[in-house]
Amino acid sequence: MALTVGIDVGTGAVKTALFEINGDKITWIDRQTDRIRNRQPFTLAENAFDYLLEKNGYTRDDIDYIATTGDAESIPYSTGHFYSMTTHARGALYLNPDARSLLDIGALNGKAISMSDKGKVLKYKMTSQCASGSGQFLENIARYLGIGQDEIGGLSEQADDPEVVSGICAVLAETDVINMVSRNISAANILKGIHISMAGRLVKLLKSLKVTEGVVMCTGGLALDSGLVLALNEAMARSKMDMPVVSHEDSIYAGAIGAAIWGAFRHEKLTELENMAKAS
Amino acid sequence: MATREEITNRCQALYDDLDFTAARKWKDAEPGRHVIGYMPMYVPREIIHAAGMMPLGILGGGDQLEVIQGDAYYQSYICRIPRSTIELLLTDRLDFVDGMLFPSICDVIRNLSGMWKLLRPDVYAHYFDVPQNYMRDVGGEFYIHELNVLKEDLEKISGNKVTNEALKNSIELYNENRRLTRKLYKFRADYPWLAPSSEVYLINRAGMVIPVEDHNILITDYIDAAKQEDRPKRDNSRVVISGSFCEQPPINLIKSIEISGCYVVDDDYMLVNRWFAKPVPTDIDPMQALSYTFLEASVKMPSCFEPNEDIKGQFLVDLVRETNAEGVIFAAASFCDPALLERPILQDVLNQVDIPHISFKYAENTGQMQPIREQAGTFADSIKLWS
Repeated sequence: MALTVGIDVGTGAVKTALFEINGDKITWIDRQTDRIRNRQPFTLAENAFDYLLEKNGYTRDDIDYIATTGDAESIPYSTGHFYSMTTHARGALYLNPDARSLLDIGALNGKAISMSDKGKVLKYKMTSQCASGSGQFLENIARYLGIGQDEIGGLSEQADDPEVVSGICAVLAETDVINMVSRNISAANILKGIHISMAGRLVKLLKSLKVTEGVVMCTGGLALDSGLVLALNEAMARSKMDMPVVSHEDSIYAGAIGAAIWGAFRHEKLTELENMAKAS
Repeated sequence: MATREEITNRCQALYDDLDFTAARKWKDAEPGRHVIGYMPMYVPREIIHAAGMMPLGILGGGDQLEVIQGDAYYQSYICRIPRSTIELLLTDRLDFVDGMLFPSICDVIRNLSGMWKLLRPDVYAHYFDVPQNYMRDVGGEFYIHELNVLKEDLEKISGNKVTNEALKNSIELYNENRRLTRKLYKFRADYPWLAPSSEVYLINRAGMVIPVEDHNILITDYIDAAKQEDRPKRDNSRVVISGSFCEQPPINLIKSIEISGCYVVDDDYMLVNRWFAKPVPTDIDPMQALSYTFLEASVKMPSCFEPNEDIKGQFLVDLVRETNAEGVIFAAASFCDPALLERPILQDVLNQVDIPHISFKYAENTGQMQPIREQAGTFADSIKLWS
């Protein structure tokens, strides 16, 4: 049995997950999400970590493996760090055992990843440097339009005549949006246009991985944007890719979940090696 | 005793100093002192030292030097170290150097010796050749001749006679330096969380620009200080770095590899500090001792000539096993022929015994670390989870 914590420091939020893992039995004990909002991510991570332990009656000494992922490499109390693709793949598999690929859509970029049925990353592609395909860009546009982030998905789904924005450059895309506002295009159609643009880029990445089976899981900060998930499914259909794109209410935790599960795996392996060394 | 932090801060300052202030101060401390610069990978520093001079390792300009004039001297498909070395020369940062040695490593460094002669015809510049034949009566004799030519040249510059006694004294000092460097590497391989690769690199690098006597004390102090500190051990993968023996990666790249989840347990940075696997004997003629040790006990590295095809690359497998490493990262400077031409051969040898490896290229001024972190991080994960 291993008690593990996964800490995922992203660009927009810090996600922390506490797990108890005994062989194949995986129990997710508790979780915590903190939006960064100009605060120090490592302080948020440590506070969340201590909060979860105290809330569940544990101390730091009870934790067998503190696994970090994302931008958390330098957290000093971490037992080990896993790269975000590794943890998102494992997290996606935990949330949906049929997942064989995933779209990790975060604040700064998006990644398409194909994986094995054990969660091993097989191939990946990443969006280019430009922010036009990122969550941060979408957040900025929503702010300009005076729309709350939780309203984006619902509004986008109501669009009746979307106008597509530039998928290449965030500056051009912002100019497109300003023009649309001056032409009285509705917020719903603007947001849908952005979703279509983002979905087109992400599906293109997925297609280049030649994934043909299983479910495409959405993870990362934008996974809960229902408008984007809808646009992704539409883009998949246009690209003649016969796989459903699905999300999960806990998709935002995929990195932290994957880190905690891999942490338990490593804990077991290291204990085995230690015992072998003692025996010899 | 200085703390680990104080020692590494001092080394960082030496690393950052592109004016070589420490070497200038050494030279100015007494009249008649001379400084001889040398490029990677190996020169017999004992002879320079025995002539009363200070050997100064020149490893290019790193990522803090803007190369403006240096680019005009080399084609775009040439590595960066000769450009930044020319830049150091043309910006008078090496104006205190009384001579330069260009060891036989590749055509680019050979050409650099020619450039130096054209640009500074009044300063001694010597292309230092080494034997490719490893028999004592052939390559050994040739090398003794080369060593004697160098000795006579240095005697003329310094005005000091290089006696056998002075040479034996210098050999003993450098034997100690190599022993301590190996001790430092062994300490890091045993306790990589106590001696991070970036710190070991800086300690090693300091040996390029300070007198060997000071460097010996520095290494000893660092090991003692690092042993006393309690630093957390992390679940990292143990890797060997191969291919960085000439143009050096920026310190941020070395840090990035470590931060992404790798403990570097061996590398081939600055091989001159541990070139010989055993001490140079002091009970025979010093030139013979230097020559025969070069033939028979030079460090086994990709950059070193290996006449026996059957065992080519085996040294890397041995190194991985000796250090309990779990994989190899081939990190070579862009356009580095010696490293990049050997790489496929070495990769093949590793594949035969299932040692995982990745490879990438860098330049001494590489600034974008994200792709390196991505590669090193996923490599560390694959070792930990799937190896």
